[in-house]
Amino acid sequence: MSAPADTAAAADWESRVRRARRRGGAVRLTRLAGRAAGVTAILLFTLFPVYFMLTSAFSDRMTSTVGTLLPSQPTLDNFVHVLTEGDFGTYMLNSLAVACITVAGACVLSLLAAVAVARFRFRFRTSVLMLILIVQMVPLEALVIPLFLQVRDLQLLNTVLGLGIVYIALSLPLAVWMMRGFVAAVPKEVEEAAYIDGASWPVMFWKVLFPLVAPGLVATAIFSFIIAWNEFVLALTFMQQSDKYTVAVGLRQFFGEYANEWGHVMAASTLITLPVMVFFVIVQRWLASGLVQGAVKG
Amino acid sequence: MGTPVGQVTGGAEPGLRASTGPPGRGRPGPALGLRRRRALLPWALLAPALAVIAALLLFPLARIVWLSFREYRLRNLVSGESDFIGPANYVTLFTDSYLWRVALPNTVGFAVVAVVSTVVLGTLVALLLARLRPVTRVVVVSCIMVAWAMPAVSGTYVWLWIFDVDDGIVAQALQGLGFLGPEGYNWFADRLFFYAVVVLNVVHGGFPFVAVTVLAGLLTVPRELHEAALLDGAGAWKRFWHVTFPVLRPVFAVVTILSTIWDFKVFAQVYLMPGGGVGGSEMLNLGVWTYVSSFGQRDYGMGSAIAVLLTLLLLAVTAVYLRALFREDELR
Repeated sequence: MSAPADTAAAADWESRVRRARRRGGAVRLTRLAGRAAGVTAILLFTLFPVYFMLTSAFSDRMTSTVGTLLPSQPTLDNFVHVLTEGDFGTYMLNSLAVACITVAGACVLSLLAAVAVARFRFRFRTSVLMLILIVQMVPLEALVIPLFLQVRDLQLLNTVLGLGIVYIALSLPLAVWMMRGFVAAVPKEVEEAAYIDGASWPVMFWKVLFPLVAPGLVATAIFSFIIAWNEFVLALTFMQQSDKYTVAVGLRQFFGEYANEWGHVMAASTLITLPVMVFFVIVQRWLASGLVQGAVKG
Repeated sequence: MGTPVGQVTGGAEPGLRASTGPPGRGRPGPALGLRRRRALLPWALLAPALAVIAALLLFPLARIVWLSFREYRLRNLVSGESDFIGPANYVTLFTDSYLWRVALPNTVGFAVVAVVSTVVLGTLVALLLARLRPVTRVVVVSCIMVAWAMPAVSGTYVWLWIFDVDDGIVAQALQGLGFLGPEGYNWFADRLFFYAVVVLNVVHGGFPFVAVTVLAGLLTVPRELHEAALLDGAGAWKRFWHVTFPVLRPVFAVVTILSTIWDFKVFAQVYLMPGGGVGGSEMLNLGVWTYVSSFGQRDYGMGSAIAVLLTLLLLAVTAVYLRALFREDELR
């Protein structure tokens, strides 16, 4: 196979493809216009609710509803109300505390488990992986009643610890699958080199493996943070005192407090959404691939 | 993350890692003890995670089945004792016309419509994205991510605000155009409209995942396949159906499974809507119904029976998908 012949064949192929495109497809201009229309429609659909949430949160209460589309005088009044009179600061601190417990627990436990399934061959390894995959399918709503009884028996209702422990369990299955990919991607030779240099297993773990899977840990941390921050039904059940509410549950306080103060509701919604969006932009790459790997590879 | 994980550990003897540690500097003790310790190490690493999963996911799953065969109300919650009543809760559940008329149609009908809409819209968006220039594509994908990142609770309130009966922007626009009288119309009382808003909300939050995943798949489809089909005179639909779809079948299977799982158990998106969390309302799905029966009407046994039904339904659906998915050898 000589290079010139190859190039000639490729050029011939290209020109035939181009001709076929021209024959079958629409004119270039209409195709461009179609794409532009498609992109506009998608962006409108995805961004309009977000835009409307932000403008409503920043608009002052007196303006008309349609006026909130383009607030002439943006104000922070809604945020101030929500945070001072509305206790939303307390809810955010509660959520943050729960999320910290979740993140710490999920990171440590999933890293240990991921090393086990990615680095060792042992009996029932596939069964363990399948089990972790299948428990993800159990609907949370079905577990609310027994989890409520369990947490109550442990005297952990209305505590961030009780909610945090349950969230660790919720984030573990996917966290293990994600971490497994990161651990497996570390070349075995790196570890072998460390062994040859005389490193013991714990030293190898902390000095060699740990720094290499750090990005995976960041992804897992953010992922479990989002779970803890967003979860609704368990927080609704476990946190029965209003000073213990998490953000997802506390948001209801502003709904129907007076005759639907939508400015307050939207300000609180914005406060919930912003941290998640920041983290999401960082983590989305790993999240998507982790989900797919978790579901595809047995 | 492209490494096929199954091969990474290599074919060492079971229970033993490929490299048995530093030659000549092994820990003291007989070889058998070392081997046994090596065999136990993965289980020691797995133990904490498995313990948490067993205690907080598997044990509750068993307990919900146990509870569903018991009379368990507020007084039982206080005393902790309850009576076995056989399948009475299930008899009540399956003879209740509410299940057949409201809860089941709401759950299944919604899931079907939401999954189909999410997957179709996501695929269309992915196909469009694949035709854009890389820079434009990155910009559009980032914008779509914003929708994905929106927490379910905030998203639900924003859609409620958009469709608010009195002051919502849709109502105002319709009134401005003369389609709606100044007295307004409580559309949330209409089951179809109620669920149309839920579908809008769920598709808005769910299609970005499908779009991004399918796009990642589309970019791996060899260009030559498409061009060959084009030279054979295949139109756009035929090229998608006979070239793209077969190559991306596993990807479509995954996004459909995950969307189904998510859409069967929507909770906040229904519960927070007007009438969505009220016992006896036309709007409940199985997930909200189990919550309302147990924590609203304090009939935990009945709530458990509904929860078991929801779980079985979900497991049946995923089992069908998983069989289709794992039948193909290359997916393992």
